[in-house]
Amino acid sequence: MNVTIKLVGIFKIDRFKDAVREYPSGICVREVVDELRIPTHLLGTVLINEIHAGVEDVLVDGDTVCLLPFIDGG
Amino acid sequence: MKSFTSDPASEPSSVLYSRCTVDLRSGKIHREDVPCRNLEDVLGGFGRSFQILAERNINHAYCEENPLIVNTGLLTGSSAMTGLRTYFSGYSPLKESKKSLPAAMWSTGSGNFGAKLKWTGLDELIFENRSTTPVYAVIRETAEGPLVELKPADHLLGLSTHEKIMALHKEYGSAHFAAIGQAGEQWENVYMGAVALSTDNQLKSGEDKMRFAGRGGMGSLMGYKNLLALVAQSSDKIKPLTPEVKKVNINVVKGGGAGRLLPISRGGGGGTWAAYDVLQTFHAVPVNNFRPQGNNEPEKLFREHVEKQFVIKSEACYRCGITCHNNVHEKSEDGSVGRFLAKFDYEPLNLLGTNIGLHDAAQAASLIHTCDNYGMDSISLGVTVSYLLAYNERHPERPLLNGAVFGEYAKIKELITQAGLGNLPEIGRGSKRLSESTGETSYAYHVKGLEIAAYQPETNPGYAWAIAGGHMSMGTYGLLTREGKSDMESWVQGITRDKLQIVGFDMIGLCKFFDITKGICTQMVVDCLKSEFGLDITIENLAASVRRAFLRGLALELRQGYEKAEYTLPAEVWERPNPNIKLPNITHPEFIAELQKRVWEIFEPELDGLLPQE
Ligand code: SF4
Repeated sequence: MNVTIKLVGIFKIDRFKDAVREYPSGICVREVVDELRIPTHLLGTVLINEIHAGVEDVLVDGDTVCLLPFIDGG
Repeated sequence: MKSFTSDPASEPSSVLYSRCTVDLRSGKIHREDVPCRNLEDVLGGFGRSFQILAERNINHAYCEENPLIVNTGLLTGSSAMTGLRTYFSGYSPLKESKKSLPAAMWSTGSGNFGAKLKWTGLDELIFENRSTTPVYAVIRETAEGPLVELKPADHLLGLSTHEKIMALHKEYGSAHFAAIGQAGEQWENVYMGAVALSTDNQLKSGEDKMRFAGRGGMGSLMGYKNLLALVAQSSDKIKPLTPEVKKVNINVVKGGGAGRLLPISRGGGGGTWAAYDVLQTFHAVPVNNFRPQGNNEPEKLFREHVEKQFVIKSEACYRCGITCHNNVHEKSEDGSVGRFLAKFDYEPLNLLGTNIGLHDAAQAASLIHTCDNYGMDSISLGVTVSYLLAYNERHPERPLLNGAVFGEYAKIKELITQAGLGNLPEIGRGSKRLSESTGETSYAYHVKGLEIAAYQPETNPGYAWAIAGGHMSMGTYGLLTREGKSDMESWVQGITRDKLQIVGFDMIGLCKFFDITKGICTQMVVDCLKSEFGLDITIENLAASVRRAFLRGLALELRQGYEKAEYTLPAEVWERPNPNIKLPNITHPEFIAELQKRVWEIFEPELDGLLPQE
């Protein structure tokens, strides 16, 4: 299945900003995060189709996943 | 601090803290060991200072009875990472209720002044009354204990924060400094004066790389007292790292806690600047006085773009492995590091950049630099300026001051410079007073008289219950954006339970970046207290103490005339809902009304008995 991945902030470094990628069906967000080697302690938010989601959520064909770094105030 | 117990929660009076009271009018100085009343006194910071403030009835911030309390937290000066905080407390010239009574306030910063102050042997300084002539205070370690002296400060008058610090540095070796700038000296017209705290980096390089206790105008209160600077002179007294504290420190840097704040080159998130990218995903980066426009303009100040033009150095306070400062320097032709321009933390960058219509890093840097050197709070300054620009945009036929509108760098710089010199009380006295004078209060982005931080109010109704400024005394600013919580239960729980715990850092002497998501009620803190002082304080006792301190702050607000209706957001949020923000709407009037009802139902019964009887 095809999933659009959008990466925000530091996650783009040495990766990409957005890309359509092919995954086996039934894959969850965590597997995408692992595959992209995104350090989990830096992961703040997951959006699936612009709605907040969790790393265990299962993806379906055509989904858009956005991975955002943690924010810590300023 | 002297402790004759290992259980300060049960036996607080067996812990004594060292306090020096300085009467600025008479010059009398009195040092004493004071027994703690409760665990809040033991932990220190605002947990202690607010109990002192609660004993006074203050109707005007600029009165002799309003003390300036300078203190540290239990872990300030310890070997626990980030243990460098100094706290400045008093009744605020800036934050006031609609009844015009000043609110109790604290402000805090890092740098190395706090540790030095602790190492002189003092835990707290209370400055009473005001001096008739400009003075500075020297706190020194001597064989007989800490010694405090007042010295004439005429030679410091008119100097910027950095210039004052460097002038004193020439005179006092092995010392660190707290200083106000011209803005604090002009306290009558500037209520948002900040206190600058020196860093090792600043003293060694001569570059103006200070940290600030900015919120609530504690620098203006210092200026009113004619107290221009503090010098803490002592040898360094860092204890050898115990295995327990070493483990905690490694966990702070390498574990989840602060790893995200580390420089990108060390696998971290690159500090608070990262908030730009995240919030822009939701079109929730404040633009033009908190009106995000759904466009890409904020991206111009993304780190990846600024990096092409400038060198960004990741630097730290003394001995801190978190290295959260992003110091922006000019880039020489060969790519090497040039002149230091400014620090780029998220708040000042946004509020003196994107939120006033400036998307050029050099311009934002120049304004941050100006603000820091005059010694103003960048949040209050930026938000008051953005209000003025919004007013002028709405009223081109009768604009205020120099008529500046969003994006007009030269005119905005003039406003900031003149405000810093005390020539523009319209700006220097903050957005509440300015908006009341124009009669257009709905788009003045303050809550309870204190300007909000650079998080859209649409994303954070928790602002209403913050007791010392938007994001640092109520940790709900990420509850919607980061955690995706838009239901009532999560917000009630967040405000009344979990997220108020953020204020614990402002008691104990640690930076919030020590572990911002979990707060101070953790095994890491318990281990540090045991290892450093032999104290057995449980997580539950810490949590209860932090909660009491927070609630005492709330009770004090109510005593200073705040009405429940003031626990709300700027009205523009629901009068003109912003369709560009891509998040659920949790700030419509019905949500806010229900939240107010539910939050007060929980808080109100707990407020009894927290303040001294009148
Ligand atoms: S976290 Fe940042 S501000 Fe705090 S002590 Fe470390 S470097 Fe300084």
